[in-house]
Amino acid sequence: MATQKRPWLKKMLISVLALAIIAAGIYWYVATDKFSDTGDMEASFTVNAIEFIREFEKDEPGANRKYKDKIITVNGRVSEIEAADTTMNIKMIDTTTNSFIIFAFQEQHLSEPKTVKVGDNVSIKGSFSAGIFSEIMEVVKIDFKRSALNK
Amino acid sequence: MKKAIFILLLVITTGILFAQKKTTTSAIIAFDATTSIDALPKAENKTAIAAIDTKTGSVAFEATVKNFTFANPTMQRHFNGENWLNSDAHPSFNFKGNIVDPSSVDFAKDGLYKTNVEGTLTVKGKEQKVTVPATIEVKGTNLSASANFSIVLADFGITGTPIDGGKVAKAPKITVSADFK
Repeated sequence: MATQKRPWLKKMLISVLALAIIAAGIYWYVATDKFSDTGDMEASFTVNAIEFIREFEKDEPGANRKYKDKIITVNGRVSEIEAADTTMNIKMIDTTTNSFIIFAFQEQHLSEPKTVKVGDNVSIKGSFSAGIFSEIMEVVKIDFKRSALNK
Repeated sequence: MKKAIFILLLVITTGILFAQKKTTTSAIIAFDATTSIDALPKAENKTAIAAIDTKTGSVAFEATVKNFTFANPTMQRHFNGENWLNSDAHPSFNFKGNIVDPSSVDFAKDGLYKTNVEGTLTVKGKEQKVTVPATIEVKGTNLSASANFSIVLADFGITGTPIDGGKVAKAPKITVSADFK
């Protein structure tokens, strides 16, 4: 029998098959991985909107390093609710400088901006992206993604 | 005194009614680098800033790189990583340009106008001249704009095995849409 003459061939085929199954498993795990629901995540920081904006106005690089990739709860007043196609973003503006925070909502929380109105005091938890100086608006703009309204 | 107040009010009112620069902070920029073997590299940013000047025809947008949202966490990490967009060092995409033929759009008349916009796109700190077809819709006081185009990643110094191996498109499709106020 050929396999009896070459037992290493059978071992090699089994090893290749095992490696292929492991690689497929890793790929499947990575490819189907999703972000956790922000609403269920614990915030690393809880901040007041105006104080948070001023931290970036004072030291933008330092504030970006401090909050890099963190989940943050921001408490503040809704200044604007702005349509982004069929979804809504919430803005909190420091009216003394017009610098602002803008929150884009996570898929499962997209309907939540419709439950608030301008002037409401709210608490929003989101994934901090960055604070940058906008050359177009000439103000500091702070972006959050995958946000959720704290109830 | 009354005359001075009247003139001041007239100037302010005229300024508001005939404001030429229209902006939004919720423009949408979508990035699609999917290929036949990988459907993951695509993302959307819904908090881009866009501006259009209806008098001069100047157009601009800027987007925070880290606010592009992917469905897949690993893909988002790679996108922002040092080898790709290096968003810590280059935190935003920018475009500054002009409508090529300003007479192709009548901002005072309702309509759907096809035009071209040319300008400089900055990605990962590298500038490239681009000309993109755009559509502008005027409807009463509402103004919206959209553009679909592709960029060649290598033009902005973005290269790597996933591109060579066909997992990321060499020339991703970019879609920009904005409702101005």
